[in-house]
Amino acid sequence: MYFVTFVLKNLTRRPVRTALTVIGLAVSVGSMIALLGISENVEHSITDSLARRGVDLVVTSAGKTDQLASEIDEKLIDQVRQIPGVKEVSPAMVELIEITRDSGTSINVLVQGWPADNFVYEDIKILSGRRLLAGDHGKAMLGLTLSESMGKGVGDKVTIQGEPFEVVGVYQSFVVFENGSAALPLDEVQRMMARPGKVTGFSMRVEKSHNDPNSSVEAIRQQVNALTDSTGKPAKLSAQTTQSYVDSVSQLKVVRAMAWMVSVIGMLIGVISMLNTMVMSVLERTQEIGILRAIGWPRRRVVKMILGESVILALSAAVLGTIGAFAATYVLALFPKVNGFIEGGVPLKVAMEGTAFAVLIGLFGGSYPAFRAARLLPTEAIRHV
Amino acid sequence: MSENPKDFLLYADQLHKQYPDGQVRALGGVSLGIKEAEYTAITGPSGCGKSTLLNVIGALDRPDKGEVFFRGAPLGNQRDLDRFRARQIGFVFQSFFLLPTLTSLENVQIPMFEGALGSRERTRKAEELLGLVGMSHRAGHRPGQLSVGERQRIALARSLANDPVLLLADEPTGNLDSHNATLVLDLLTNLRRDRRLSLLIVTHSPDVAARADRVIRMRDGQIVAN
Repeated sequence: MYFVTFVLKNLTRRPVRTALTVIGLAVSVGSMIALLGISENVEHSITDSLARRGVDLVVTSAGKTDQLASEIDEKLIDQVRQIPGVKEVSPAMVELIEITRDSGTSINVLVQGWPADNFVYEDIKILSGRRLLAGDHGKAMLGLTLSESMGKGVGDKVTIQGEPFEVVGVYQSFVVFENGSAALPLDEVQRMMARPGKVTGFSMRVEKSHNDPNSSVEAIRQQVNALTDSTGKPAKLSAQTTQSYVDSVSQLKVVRAMAWMVSVIGMLIGVISMLNTMVMSVLERTQEIGILRAIGWPRRRVVKMILGESVILALSAAVLGTIGAFAATYVLALFPKVNGFIEGGVPLKVAMEGTAFAVLIGLFGGSYPAFRAARLLPTEAIRHV
Repeated sequence: MSENPKDFLLYADQLHKQYPDGQVRALGGVSLGIKEAEYTAITGPSGCGKSTLLNVIGALDRPDKGEVFFRGAPLGNQRDLDRFRARQIGFVFQSFFLLPTLTSLENVQIPMFEGALGSRERTRKAEELLGLVGMSHRAGHRPGQLSVGERQRIALARSLANDPVLLLADEPTGNLDSHNATLVLDLLTNLRRDRRLSLLIVTHSPDVAARADRVIRMRDGQIVAN
């Protein structure tokens, strides 16, 4: 018999308690994995989309933590285009806009206002119909997820903020939230939002030197940040590299902070739950532990036994929690409220973090009972009833 | 010290033990020597200090005063009494104290984790020990599936797991009927003969005491007859 076999058999003594402890911990660990997974997926999705599109810099209004609140005068984009080394500039207006279903209910959908020359069109796949063209009015394209959830296709009408739009195309993007959004001509969104001549931001591709591509990007970043408007006042643009842009997106920051806060609370609950289970378990086995000490087990082996039990409980919870989190993110992704905003699945890195958390829960939660068990005097423990 | 501890496998010299409340004197200057392959029985009324003496001799408890010598060396100088217990002493208890989730074969292996044997050797040795106590056919049974006599035989096999030289037993037949008590006593006697095992048995049973080489009677924490 291996020592670990003995430890495992100890856990079968109270199968219901063991199962309940594992389930409780799995909820804690699973919540953490699911939340961190969603946050990681969103970040990864944005970073990936920018990288795949060859975006070097993302420009928004300086001082705006919420990108949707950013507002940049379109005239500044022409100035940016004049900066030597700037290859392409792709402006957009992104807004959360109400779309009314046929049933009369409304949902808020991310609407992208794209000009006809936006380089996004290079990589989205038109599944049916056509892309938006210059001069289109009253036309819209729907992302695949949105099209499916609304049951709308090419030729159908959708009501966006009370106005009818004809669906001219359904597209699929590798960016999850683009699949859940609608694309309209930029000037239509500007009109609907009463923000003519404005965009919420723009992406830039720059010419990079082979030797030091980062310094080429940095040089242009500084020039963009130093731009002034027609009156000579600072334009207050904030050009960021893609990574620092993703790190600074306020919604992502909130999601990350929430995920970690829930994780820490979950961990505390997990430690308390583990403590309770293991203290009870040690108390019930006081006599047995006395016998183990009497027949020559040193204190460290008793500690190993109890910590082994708590870590195995925690690891089982990590496996169950990861499976649960995996399933939960997929189920959650189907809900209409978040449809197209989050992606199912859990990145391996997050699953590993969750497992590490679980092991910590096992070690913290098992430590006190383990040392308490190790301190028992054999003669007193054997007399314990 | 009237005798030389080196003449004995184990020698207890003037052991004193008072329980923490200070009201009960469990041992009041007990001296006792145990030779190799000797069968010693300790008898006396309840509360006379028999079990305390067994605990102190088995390094489960420390005396307040006095010393226990093992092969002439004082136990007080031993840094690792757990190791001493694991390697030199076997314990048998009245209530067997087998682990309920483990089979007989696994219960016997529990003390072996502190030895140098690998998993397969542990299993092989446990099988041998079960054969020695006539319990091979119950190797896969858990304690709850065994009779009390069978449980005590498994506990006896467990006490032999690390080949001890001294077996300490506290009322080993106390919970057994006469048939099973005789079986266990026969086993102990055979072990003593075949393995040159020293036995120190605390008992109320005249039958157990009758088989001993030497019977020590205790009263009020002292030896009154040896």
